[in-house]
Amino acid sequence: MKAARLKTAAIVGAAAMALGACGSSGTATNGGGSGGSGGAALTVAGVIAITGASDFEGQNQAGGILPAIYAINQAGGVLGHKLVYKGVDTRADPADALPAVQQMLATTHNLVMVAGPGSNSAPTIVPVLNAAKVPMTAVAGESAFDRTTDQYFWRLFPPDAANGVAMALWAKQKGYTRVAVVFGTDTGSQGDKPGVVAGLKALNIPVVSDINLTPDQPTYLSSVHRLMAAHPQVIMTESDAATAGTFFGELKQLGGLVPIIGTEATFTAPWITAVKGALGSSFQQAFTSLITAPSSKTAAVTAFEQAVTADKSQVPKPWQSYLNNPFSITYWDGMVAVALAMNAAHSTKPTVFNKYIPQVTNPGPGKVVVYTYAQGVKELKAGKQIQYYGASGLIDFNQYHNSFGNQEAVGSNGSSQPVKLGTVTAKQIEAVPVTGVQ
Amino acid sequence: MLSTLLSAVAFGVVLASIIAIAAMGFTIQFGLTNVLNLSYGGVMTIGGYVAYLAVAHGISAWYGLVLGAAAGAVATLVIGHGLLRRFAARGTKVFEMMMVTLGLGLVIDYTLQAISHNNISQFTVLQSAPLHLGPVTLTPTQVIITAVGLAIFIGLEALLRLTRIGKALRAMASDPSLARACGIKTSRIVVFTWLLSGALCGLAGVVYIINAQSIGYTTGELFLPLVIAAAILGGAGSPSGAILAALLMGIVTQVFSAYGNASYSTAAGFGILVIVLLTRPSAVLSKGENEELALS
Repeated sequence: MKAARLKTAAIVGAAAMALGACGSSGTATNGGGSGGSGGAALTVAGVIAITGASDFEGQNQAGGILPAIYAINQAGGVLGHKLVYKGVDTRADPADALPAVQQMLATTHNLVMVAGPGSNSAPTIVPVLNAAKVPMTAVAGESAFDRTTDQYFWRLFPPDAANGVAMALWAKQKGYTRVAVVFGTDTGSQGDKPGVVAGLKALNIPVVSDINLTPDQPTYLSSVHRLMAAHPQVIMTESDAATAGTFFGELKQLGGLVPIIGTEATFTAPWITAVKGALGSSFQQAFTSLITAPSSKTAAVTAFEQAVTADKSQVPKPWQSYLNNPFSITYWDGMVAVALAMNAAHSTKPTVFNKYIPQVTNPGPGKVVVYTYAQGVKELKAGKQIQYYGASGLIDFNQYHNSFGNQEAVGSNGSSQPVKLGTVTAKQIEAVPVTGVQ
Repeated sequence: MLSTLLSAVAFGVVLASIIAIAAMGFTIQFGLTNVLNLSYGGVMTIGGYVAYLAVAHGISAWYGLVLGAAAGAVATLVIGHGLLRRFAARGTKVFEMMMVTLGLGLVIDYTLQAISHNNISQFTVLQSAPLHLGPVTLTPTQVIITAVGLAIFIGLEALLRLTRIGKALRAMASDPSLARACGIKTSRIVVFTWLLSGALCGLAGVVYIINAQSIGYTTGELFLPLVIAAAILGGAGSPSGAILAALLMGIVTQVFSAYGNASYSTAAGFGILVIVLLTRPSAVLSKGENEELALS
């Protein structure tokens, strides 16, 4: 009997370990741009999930950073140096991210910047990069970074709470008084949830059902039933695409579909494809997402679109999906801003040019507004001070190295092309007294 | 309150049907060959993708079920009879064979990842208005899935108890040497078992994606722990045990979702496995001390 018990335990234990091992792996590199004439190439590392369930993060990044590197190299590079991209795969798991980043720091020459990290690994990786004095343009919404003192941390992306408050403001504007929150238990979704809940609480909108979904289950029927029993008027949500497809598909089939307001993370091609497939013709009517307001059609937007189009063979398919992807646009702006800072500082040393980043972006008296890298370099060479106005709009870093603007409520016509429904301004968001968000 | 409980139980039965189809295939193969086949999840995904491609090319979802099962049967036969048998002939032991199947599973997963470009594909078929069965609301698809699970269980039990090949399969699972001595052509039984197990695996993959309405390269891999848990809980080689275990896990999971925090529901399902393993190990290890691989 004892032998039998041991055998069973060994098999189950080994199976569990083996299956767990399936979820982790090491780093990956990915070429982009090219080393070229002049000085040695400067490396831009993309510290992001390239493989695994959150691999869309890497795709979003590639859709912005690779075109930016392309455009900068086409304009002559940075102070005579070409830029090259190196992908560092976090697999959205701090346990994978930390050794990958340590290896990157130990082996990468001429590292000038990190694009990322994303939400899942940022709390682990940001202190490491900051200690190594590597500027990073993070796309991590955690409120822990709202008042960061890490000097090499730069965020051109709204904190999670901002997106959540905008969702709550939009719900209030629409007259909803009964809200259900449905979030995946993955780190990214859970990171965005407190902002949504805090926003609703601040606006006195009751949460009638609070559901957490373990990703990738074959069915969520009981959770669907529970949600329907609460009779919400609207669902606020974020989860991975497959989970969302299953959950909302079952919700529709059981006759419980109500309007859906998604976080910014839901406005991505995989999520829209999954939920549109599950909801069919109901999708366009049901779905709204709050995203960072795209800039009006400035020369910066045109430059971004042209670069994505010109570099379309290098970015993951479908390349068109990045033209309106807020994450890709943010990575583009971060790269251009850092490259301009190097020009302004006449140095490619991060310890020198880091403090120039807000100097080339923030508004100020006498500054020349520029919309492209080439334009910025030209004005800097002419001895002017510049303000880079990004494809994402105005960039104005505060003392905590955060910059974010208005939020826009958008629908989808089934593609990743946003259909504007309204605007929630940054002033409206800041006026909401949010508490309890870590 | 009663309505919620009844609904949760009904939803648990639907989930159990999906788990059970896969677990019955897994347990029959494990019971006979003693191979803890961790490539099973990958084969499930293959079955799902074949059905997805079939439907995408205008073939009926019902034929998709058949094609998915056929693909699973072929893939499992290639793995079991084509590869694992060679390892067994070289003296590979139980644990080593498990690692081989893990490697094969990863090969399948990453091949599918490359082919699918990491995309999640939609699989929305057999959609129609929900059925209201008293306080319980189910979709026709879910009723069909439950019926398919039940039909497979009845068919499998009949096969094992009423046919010569079924009796031979049970005899070999019980004692391969004695079965061989009695004149049973064990190599044929092993081939039949791989085919049967693979067909159920492929079918389970299709049923899974019909319910989940999407497929990605990790679909089967993520589902595999539930399948293995049900197979172990139900006892190796026992379809009836697998279906009871699947029911237990499915209902516990859904009732927990209905009354507790849904994020802990899957953990609650596995909690049942741990409790049973701790309290009644003999109930879940019907294979006794037989640790030899039986692949020929």
